[in-house]
Amino acid sequence: MTDLSDRQKLGYIASQAADARLNVELETEGMTLNIGPQHPATHGTLRIICRLDGEQVVWAEPSCGYMHRGYEKLTEVRTFPQVTTLVNRIDWLGSFANEVPFILAAEKLMEIEAPPRAQVIRTILFELSRIANVSLFLGDLGVQMGAITPVFIAFRDREYVLNLIESATGGRFHPNFDRIGGLKDDLPAGWIDETRQVMVKLREFCDIIEDLLFGNEIFQSRTRGIGIIPADIAKDYGLSGANLRASGVDYDLRRDQEIAMAWDKADFKVWTHPDGDSFARCWVRLQETRESCKIVEQLLDQIPAGPVMTKVPRIIKVPEGEAWVATENPLGVMGYYVVSKGDLGPFRVKIRTPSFNNISIVPWALKGVYVPDIITILASLYFILGDIDR
Amino acid sequence: MGLVANGRMPASLTKLFNISRSYSLWVYQWGLACCAIEMGAAFGSPRYDVMRLGVIPLPASPRQADFVCVSGTVTDKMAPAVKRLWEQMPEPKYAISMGSCANCGGPYWDSYSVTKGVDQIIPIDVYVPGCPPRPEALLEGIVLLQQRIKNEDMAAKWRGEDYTSLQATNSERNAAKVAASFDADVESAEQQSSSSDPIVVGGGPVE
Amino acid sequence: MDQLSDDGEATDTLALPGDGLREGVLDDLRSRIGDAIIDTHLVPNVDLWVRVRTDAWRETAVALKADGFTWFSFLSALDWMPSPYGKGEADPTAEAEEPDTEIVQGVTGGETRLQVFARLDDIDRHVGITIKADVSDDAPVVDSWSTIFAGANWHERECHEMFGIGFNGHPDLRNMYLPTEFEGFPLLKDFPLVARMVKPWPGIVDVEPMPAKDDEEGTSSS
Repeated sequence: MTDLSDRQKLGYIASQAADARLNVELETEGMTLNIGPQHPATHGTLRIICRLDGEQVVWAEPSCGYMHRGYEKLTEVRTFPQVTTLVNRIDWLGSFANEVPFILAAEKLMEIEAPPRAQVIRTILFELSRIANVSLFLGDLGVQMGAITPVFIAFRDREYVLNLIESATGGRFHPNFDRIGGLKDDLPAGWIDETRQVMVKLREFCDIIEDLLFGNEIFQSRTRGIGIIPADIAKDYGLSGANLRASGVDYDLRRDQEIAMAWDKADFKVWTHPDGDSFARCWVRLQETRESCKIVEQLLDQIPAGPVMTKVPRIIKVPEGEAWVATENPLGVMGYYVVSKGDLGPFRVKIRTPSFNNISIVPWALKGVYVPDIITILASLYFILGDIDR
Repeated sequence: MGLVANGRMPASLTKLFNISRSYSLWVYQWGLACCAIEMGAAFGSPRYDVMRLGVIPLPASPRQADFVCVSGTVTDKMAPAVKRLWEQMPEPKYAISMGSCANCGGPYWDSYSVTKGVDQIIPIDVYVPGCPPRPEALLEGIVLLQQRIKNEDMAAKWRGEDYTSLQATNSERNAAKVAASFDADVESAEQQSSSSDPIVVGGGPVE
Repeated sequence: MDQLSDDGEATDTLALPGDGLREGVLDDLRSRIGDAIIDTHLVPNVDLWVRVRTDAWRETAVALKADGFTWFSFLSALDWMPSPYGKGEADPTAEAEEPDTEIVQGVTGGETRLQVFARLDDIDRHVGITIKADVSDDAPVVDSWSTIFAGANWHERECHEMFGIGFNGHPDLRNMYLPTEFEGFPLLKDFPLVARMVKPWPGIVDVEPMPAKDDEEGTSSS
């Protein structure tokens, strides 16, 4: 820049002046753009109200509550075993993962632990529900950018995982399989071999998606360098899961806390990405799906013999106390703060859902972006409406 | 259209119209909650492939849709939007309510923010029970809706009446005669669709 | 696996090693806001609760953030009044039993019916802390955390909507979930679920005694 001729400098100044003049002449009035509550780009019923200046967002505010079902109030009028039926439906793509922290919290209060076999099977089903969840994200990602093929592939391969979950739990979508003290049933015969075959298919699915999407130039140019969230902002907002790890924060509750699950028996890598942009978030999720396949494959070899249910009273009364249990769910850190008064049902359950925090950063993250980038940023933040609104 | 204005339609014309209507249904997907994913699996996945039934998903707007599939929990905050969507759709229009939440509130029957059934807002033709129903159940619901359309008295629809089946019209008209089944094709569906009540997949009464 | 009640107390005192990490956290906090801490509860190697004075609610967040608790988990409130409607399982036609009205606060105690509580995590040391503070019954207002943890903004909006607790210094306490014309605060215990008032919970059949198959397994009560 130093050895510019005077002529070049003058040219530069002239072009800047022309730009400024153009901006003044073409100054646009502010416009309010309403996306939702039912819009293909919002995965359900999130409504986003943006104020635009030309093509740029100056202010954006999500409007939630279109899916508010009042879980926290309803848990107060259910018994402990009935609560799992409800909380299944919070994050409806990875239902089994929702039950686990609640059951663990109840077990913590009762001071019991599931038998080792149940713990390993729980972890396998947990990871399968993560795969079922994130594979749909990977397919849906293309749709947000105009590529329709990946979603068909995702739905095809997701069916294999759902079949596995169904054959083990009886529920294709909402298993309601976890019980206080263990699991409802043991695994069916032949399930382990079948799961191995499906995991091979899922790895292929990840490869296909990587080829189709992540190497695609359009995809890269629409996600790289867009929607950057720095690590300290991410922590302030309480982001979790892949959104936090994509900002370079190495935090994964599967590895970072002692919990009565079998993640410590598996060898897996917690992927992080230094960029913090939309691409990083998508990429981390892709790697996590592969890691989940790896965890499942390793745990299939390590299922110990024994019962799947420990001894619990027939009518479960949870002793008085308070417990907080959080796990690394497909969308991020999901936790239950359970207060019991020694009754059949909980006194109060505070449900900490990952998407609620993940989406609370939207007003910050959308400031100054262009309208088409709203879609990619929202898609890469990845939320599920039931998980935001509860 | 003088015939229609009189409230009469030649039976063969009705049949032709009904068949063509029932196999070119544009469906607007009003996916709200968990059921939306199962609806997506039914409509968008290669395994279930709804297009083989003559149903076309993903219209550009509700104004181009023939029926709406309301799937998932309708909350009180969402209810006005559902109502408005329904009013935007052109006649003749039909509605499928998918899942327990849309049918009656489902697991949230005692919640303070959930509408106890989308039928409080819009008229429903087919109820698909389940939480969530499998995609196959939704496909059956669509087949039943097609039979219902094939069995509809279009003249009554054009007069602005609610759903009236041909059998109902026939038996009214020929009170002395025993109403003959209109078509051998729909004989199996006759039990369900001979009345003008909504259909429930898998049977059962609508309370 | 069947030491449900017997061995519990013995192991509590004997087998638990000290929890240097959480005790260190507590010491740090004491040195920063010592006089604001009313009560603490530490379950070694499990969890840590701290109750602070209401006027030190904001100060606590600042101190904890400086202490490494930079990851905001959640903020909400607790209503300790027993529900006057019970579980809504009783027959609505029968005469209602006298409801239990005694307010008993949970871990770390308390003096008021409402409490705010929040959780922060230190993601480097892998330790979390639950902070509680009383909320006055007459003027349910506490200071806002939204300038310290940006994520608290939405949680406080939710808390305001569900419990009617105000937050000093919050930019915008609009309704988060419910329509603007909604009346009442749903998560307060005296907010009735009207559907249950009309029709008792059908799921009550779940706690009927099951057919006697294996008597030795578990003790059935009530």
